[in-house]
Amino acid sequence: MAFVEQLIANLLYGAILGAVYGLATMGLSLIFGVLRIVNVGHGAFIMIGAFTAYWMFTLYGISPVLSLPLAMAAGMIIGVAVYLVVVKRLVDAPELATLLAMFAIGIFIEEAAKQIWGANYVGYSWEIGSISLPFTEIPYTKLVAFISSILIAAAVYVWFRKTKLGKAVRAVVEDREGALTCGIDVNKIYALSFSLGIGLTVLSGVLVTLFTPVGINAYMGGEYTLKAFVIAVLGGLASPWGAFYAGFIFGLIENGSYTLLGLIPGVEPFGLTRFVSFVVLMLVLLLKPTGLLGGE
Amino acid sequence: MLTVRELESGYGEMQVLWGVNLDVREKSITTVLGPNGAGKSTTLKTIFGILKPWSGTVEYIGENVTNMPPHKKVELGITLVPEGRHLFPNMTVEDNLIMGAYLKRAEDRLEDSLDLVYTLFPRLKEREKQKAGTLSGGEQQMLAIARALMTSPNLILMDEPSQGLAPKLVKEVFETVLKLKEEGLTILLVEQNVFASLEISDYAYVLHEGKIAFGGSVDEVRESEEIKKAYLGV
Ligand SMILES: Nc1ncnc2c1ncn2[C@@H]1O[C@H](COP(=O)(O)OP(=O)(O)OP(=O)(O)O)[C@@H](O)[C@H]1O
Ligand SMILES: [Mg+2]
Repeated sequence: MAFVEQLIANLLYGAILGAVYGLATMGLSLIFGVLRIVNVGHGAFIMIGAFTAYWMFTLYGISPVLSLPLAMAAGMIIGVAVYLVVVKRLVDAPELATLLAMFAIGIFIEEAAKQIWGANYVGYSWEIGSISLPFTEIPYTKLVAFISSILIAAAVYVWFRKTKLGKAVRAVVEDREGALTCGIDVNKIYALSFSLGIGLTVLSGVLVTLFTPVGINAYMGGEYTLKAFVIAVLGGLASPWGAFYAGFIFGLIENGSYTLLGLIPGVEPFGLTRFVSFVVLMLVLLLKPTGLLGGE
Repeated sequence: MLTVRELESGYGEMQVLWGVNLDVREKSITTVLGPNGAGKSTTLKTIFGILKPWSGTVEYIGENVTNMPPHKKVELGITLVPEGRHLFPNMTVEDNLIMGAYLKRAEDRLEDSLDLVYTLFPRLKEREKQKAGTLSGGEQQMLAIARALMTSPNLILMDEPSQGLAPKLVKEVFETVLKLKEEGLTILLVEQNVFASLEISDYAYVLHEGKIAFGGSVDEVRESEEIKKAYLGV
């Protein structure tokens, strides 16, 4: 019975974390979908968001919820700058060139962060209590992260479906040449999408801090780059919605397998959960290479 | 209306156009004929600005538009119906049309433009809510033309609208092009379907290996035995 309760608790926790994972991958998928660029420096932007939340809280006592719009704005500005300085010249370049450029940008940001903020792990704790369920206790901070992720993803969805600019982004994704014949300024859409993608990524970094109380560091992003890649592929790579749903699935698998692996004597579950995630990824790629929700 | 002089362009290092000269008169249908790989699509893409011209000039109603990006040309009233249609496959027919009216100038006329294209293509009205990717080839071609009309153009560049269509539909497409001319539009058409396109054209050019080999009124092209044998394969 204790085991079932623990599994349920972990799955619940997995769904909550999964929503944040999903949001943290939407930016990667958006940038890939529109520009066909793989942002291998993804995690570095999450790190910027994490530090934003940390400093706002530590210096000014600003709650992470209020840091969200700030991180989004900062991310969009950084995104435009990176687009104009680097990416714009590489849009039609071979894939390897953009891959290397994004890799270099990631390293540049990490090293700059290390110079400015040092290499130590830091963290903060935002105490707002917790809710008691029959089988577990969930801190409100995690519920805040969960609800924020869903609301933000929904807002992005509505923006894409209903606004003129959102529809123009979709048109460019579906057919660049077709978009040109409609009078859409494709370069502007590229800049906007890149900026939005980086903005969402930095923003998700704020929410990530609610799960890693002492895990903020210049190099923290690597793990998220890796997870975001797995999630993006699960979700079909080019679709921000696919990424969001896949984030849920990934969170469930990660936390569910943690409980199950703990049952095996002599196994250290924490180290193996990542292995399980990659096994799932490989199975999906073998059985449905367009991603779990891809295929459109 | 459109004057193209000594236009050169290509892909990467490979030059495709070697000094193309074309004149398109207002409210006419001008056709560019030529074998596969002659550079017909390249000519239209370079005029529209999807490809950067290497040298030469493109003039539209007296204005030099050689290096103007495509979205600005659409603003001026030029658009392209590209080879292979390039629709938005996961959007509905209606949304494809609305995307055509993206720019302010076209958006202001959205309702009128929709009326016009639905009158021209009643079949699209019936399939309004259907995804563009699920239309038949002929319907997709109609949608491509209709989407171009939504931009409120004066000059339409059309790249092989009859490609891959059954003979009956080919006829329908050419009749539509003629109707557009009667509506006051100017059309620069690229075709391999020699007979059908000469039937509706006022002027014709023959493009051969990236150069204009011959140009003139349709009657002149028809009469030139040489042209027939060498380029049109008639
Ligand atoms: N994207 C491209 N990259 C490189 N070369 C290209 C590209 N598109 C066309 N070409 C080359 O340019 C030349 C002219 O091609 P273009 O498409 O203009 O011919 P076309 O007259 O339109 O032929 P078709 O009747 O087959 O459509 C061809 O040799 C073709 O191989
Ligand atoms: Mg062609």
